[in-house]
Amino acid sequence: MKKTSTTGFFKSPLLRYLAVRFLLIFPTVFILVSMVFFVMRAIGDPITAALGGRLSDEELQKRIHAAGYDRPVWIQYVEYLTQIARGDFGRTISTNQTIGELLGTYGMATVELTVYSVIIALVVGIPLGMIAARYRDTAKDALARLFGILAYATPVFFVGLLLKLVFAVAIPILPVAGRASVGTELLLQTVPSPTGFFLIDALRTGDASLIGDVISHAVLPSLALGLLTAGVFLRLVRTNMIGTLNTDYVDAARSRGVSEYRLVTKHAYRPALIPVITVIGMQIAVLLSGAVLTETTFEWKGLGFELSTFLNARDFVAVQGIVALLAVIVAVTNFIVDVIAALIDPRIKF
Amino acid sequence: MTNVSKTALRVLGVAAIASLGAAAFTGCASVGGSSAITVGTTDQVVSLDPAAEYDNGSFAIINQVYPFLLNSVQGKAEVTPDIATSASFTSPTEYTVVLKSGLKFANGHDLTASDVKFSFDRVVKIADENGPSSLLWNLDSTEAKDDTTVVFHLKNANDQTFPATLSSPAGPIIDEEVFPADKVLSDEEIAKAHPFAGQYDITSYKKNELVGFKKFDGYNGSLGAAVNSVVNLKYYTDSSNLKLDVQKGNIDVAARSLSATDIESLANDSNVTVHKGPGGEIRYIVFNFDTQPFGAKTAEADAKKALAVRQAVAHIVDRQAISDQVYKGTYTPLYSYVPTGIPGAVEPLKDLYGKGGAPDVDAAKALFQSAGITAPVTLNLQWTPAHYGPSSGDEYALIKSQLEATGLFKVNLQSTEWVTYTDERKKDAYPAYQLGWFPDYSDADNWLTPFFLQGGFLHNHYDNAAVDALITKQGVETDPAARQQEIEAIQLAVAKDLSTVPLLQGSQVVVAGKNVKGVVLDASFKLRFASLTK
Amino acid sequence: MAQFKKRFAGGLLGSMRRSRGVQRGMLITGLTLTGFFMLLALVAPLIAPYGYAQLQDASGYFGAQEPPSAKHLLGTTVGGMDVLSRVIWGSQTALMVIVIAVAMSIFAGVILGLLSGYFGGWVDRVLVVVADAVYAFPSLLLAISLSIVISGGRSGLFTGILATAASITVVFIPQYFRVVRAETLRVKGEAFVESARVIGASHWRIMVRHVFRNATRTLPLILTLNASEAILTLAGLGFLGFGIDPTMGAEWGYDLNRSVADVSAGIWWTSVFPGVSIVLVVLGITLVGESLNDLADPRLRARSSAVLDAEEVAA
Repeated sequence: MKKTSTTGFFKSPLLRYLAVRFLLIFPTVFILVSMVFFVMRAIGDPITAALGGRLSDEELQKRIHAAGYDRPVWIQYVEYLTQIARGDFGRTISTNQTIGELLGTYGMATVELTVYSVIIALVVGIPLGMIAARYRDTAKDALARLFGILAYATPVFFVGLLLKLVFAVAIPILPVAGRASVGTELLLQTVPSPTGFFLIDALRTGDASLIGDVISHAVLPSLALGLLTAGVFLRLVRTNMIGTLNTDYVDAARSRGVSEYRLVTKHAYRPALIPVITVIGMQIAVLLSGAVLTETTFEWKGLGFELSTFLNARDFVAVQGIVALLAVIVAVTNFIVDVIAALIDPRIKF
Repeated sequence: MTNVSKTALRVLGVAAIASLGAAAFTGCASVGGSSAITVGTTDQVVSLDPAAEYDNGSFAIINQVYPFLLNSVQGKAEVTPDIATSASFTSPTEYTVVLKSGLKFANGHDLTASDVKFSFDRVVKIADENGPSSLLWNLDSTEAKDDTTVVFHLKNANDQTFPATLSSPAGPIIDEEVFPADKVLSDEEIAKAHPFAGQYDITSYKKNELVGFKKFDGYNGSLGAAVNSVVNLKYYTDSSNLKLDVQKGNIDVAARSLSATDIESLANDSNVTVHKGPGGEIRYIVFNFDTQPFGAKTAEADAKKALAVRQAVAHIVDRQAISDQVYKGTYTPLYSYVPTGIPGAVEPLKDLYGKGGAPDVDAAKALFQSAGITAPVTLNLQWTPAHYGPSSGDEYALIKSQLEATGLFKVNLQSTEWVTYTDERKKDAYPAYQLGWFPDYSDADNWLTPFFLQGGFLHNHYDNAAVDALITKQGVETDPAARQQEIEAIQLAVAKDLSTVPLLQGSQVVVAGKNVKGVVLDASFKLRFASLTK
Repeated sequence: MAQFKKRFAGGLLGSMRRSRGVQRGMLITGLTLTGFFMLLALVAPLIAPYGYAQLQDASGYFGAQEPPSAKHLLGTTVGGMDVLSRVIWGSQTALMVIVIAVAMSIFAGVILGLLSGYFGGWVDRVLVVVADAVYAFPSLLLAISLSIVISGGRSGLFTGILATAASITVVFIPQYFRVVRAETLRVKGEAFVESARVIGASHWRIMVRHVFRNATRTLPLILTLNASEAILTLAGLGFLGFGIDPTMGAEWGYDLNRSVADVSAGIWWTSVFPGVSIVLVVLGITLVGESLNDLADPRLRARSSAVLDAEEVAA
């Protein structure tokens, strides 16, 4: 381990590492926000995007000038930074909403989908990974791995199309789009202070038909996204499990006559899960930042979907606001993951 | 001329049938049920504040909830007084509207001339970047004479399009006690304050997800009271999901926009009815007179050859094939600048080019020969993906195929993303390119002035003094018959010059469940919820 | 680079010999699929029955959404193009994007990761922060905005392919940077690097001979991962409408996008074939990558062939 100064507040290198790591969140978010700002200015303004086919050039330029989009980019940049320093993210240009309202509307949809798909990913991915490791190089292993690779290899929009072929055209038993049917959605709005998490709101009404409707709508998108993520977990658990099954202490246990089943479920389980935890953390961050394609395919109006709409409308304010929030989520998750890794794995050097 | 009168007859016929239909639906409506109607759409709403919207999605709601001074009653394109008792020019620059008395908003506030003045002043003052302020270019000031009399002072005298402007996105009347005079109000605040006095009030509002409407009993305009009591409007992002839901009966009506494939497949479904009506949307190819082949700023500039190139394109394009193969009849061939169904529309291109609407390759070949053009001419043709629907790529691939099959053209197709496209087309970067238009209001002027009058939005260096004079003249022509003649003359003149080559006219298509009645699609291009029953 | 290629090719043959049972099956399946795909891309002009944007031949228009027939084995698309031809031509577009994206990512990601991990210090910190920031940006949206910036919104075949490849590169550099950097950090602490340092080897020599060799053991896996991600991103861009024009080249994602409406009308042939093509190619490449990874890692190699050598024990 590197020599570190033992003076000052951070006597332990670990604490010092954590402090540095924490402080790094700020430049990360700052870089991201700046990057988005300049990328957005490089691809055109929202007025042209919305009204370029309706207004004369003169009127268009007048509006662009009035909105200040024709000023030097760095002036707009400084203005933007002072604005967000005050905590003001502005109103979206193309839908006239605050970023807070936007998150309230679409953020919860993304959270809901994330929760469902992570649960499915864990329930499917981890046991399959363990089975594959236990029966490595057998048909069971091959099948599990093939499933994992296929889950990764099939684009989610193709899954969506296939599901539509099956469930919408051939055997219409599950809805393929939306978060709830119109009637349910209207009733859920009448719940006092709705959370936007449809299942929770439905549970609060206690109405079985509402709960059923919400769940049936969630099945296909959650499966599509969950299985995709399960593929990642499966590969990871398998690799790490095989690694730990080969370590000395498992070998020692094996020689003491501990059964293979107990080896997998007791001895090899915990160490194999450490890297999985870190990846799960990262994966959740990725899912929260919006599964654009899944949300688009299944009409699940979440952040990812909205972000692509706003990008098309060149809505600077909306894109910047949402990305700033995502940046914070991802940076904080990264930090937590690194902290856990540092606490658990003694081999990582600072 | 025979053609003209035939078209005029047809227009009359369409209007008559539509109004008959409207009458029939209103008739059966009194029996109609009270169950809620659910409408689905893929449009997106920018704002519920009339000062900050100029898009189809917002207007679709605004049209149901705010009152207008003038409006088109169902089945008609022309505007007539809505919440007004009279509206007319009282002097060349004064347009006076008298309101009905005792009007109220859904929140109980009085609707007076002062609200009207406030509404128009506000649109002009805020001049929002997404707003319709430019439609009020001719409005000098608005004056509230007394509680029910409003006088609009105009800059240019006898503006014949001004009445139509009052039914456009710039015309909704709002509650001055709710809206701030200089700021846009958010949708949530608007929905909460109920400043509505149209056919409906909004009961629940989740932007771009679900909006609940309730019939407003206080509405006392010419459109008549809604025959249903509750309508829900659900927003979709993917048209195929909208299609599946209307097919399965999850929603009653699917309004804009279904893909051609969706509509064709729904037409064969016995559970739903596909309603088609005239559309105001047009698609065309613009030629840049400076940079097109033989254009004014090219090395081999020759105005005669340039015209021959444009005319050859007009001879060759097979609009019916595009309509059938790419759009499956949801867009129909367009042989003029003003779409069929609008008073004053004629079809000069049908006579001038091709053979009765079908392509005529020999005519194009003869044209090239007499102009001294040695084929093939290289044509750089630009289009933009997504903005005019997902089928643009197929449309232009087909046009390329048609032009090249004659041996007269070598076409280089190139597509550019919309924002860059808009910018570059005005900078003369594209010799020939795709554009489309969706009208602000149903007056023939709206398909002529923005395009062919100097300083319009095409920037293609088309300049014909005679056309300019005619356009200006019809705009202030107080005699309707004379105005119609002028509008027809403009179409003929431009068709000879071919500033643009019109291709297609979009139909309004609405798909509704078999049990849904009262779908009316007319040349006002406004879908009204009020006549729907099931 | 040449040396790397030799190692990669040699490794492939060696891997084949060393593999057995299930692993061999995976490797062979993967190699077959990948090989078939590459062959298809190379001979596309020869075997495709029609051009990728062809709409009519001597006997007239093909017609839109025609079901599979003798004339069009896999039917026609909504735009009236031959599905089989577009599937075949699509492999060419995909291959071009993969090659360009992979080449660019390897150079940038691996070099940055090595330098950053080996030397550490403030350069390392800055790079890590930047990589984190880029990683945090929703990748498909980053690709979309970059493809607009890079191509200026124009989408010819070549600008389209370059823009797509470049945006894929930018999106994936941070991921490969992270992997290589982490490996470098790990290898740096190993005994054999310490000992090389003790005997006075130069940084350059240590990096190239010891660290690079060991830190890039996972490179075949990275490479295949990158290749399959490239296809998926290309298809995703195409599906969202930011791909390559139908008249400029065939692209599977674009065809899937246009087939969305077909699916709900029961027209299956326009979506299934391009979709299956994507799945098979990604499957093939990933199988190769996984097998190579197994064989490179002694812990994962099939037990009977596990030969432990000094360097690997240290891992």
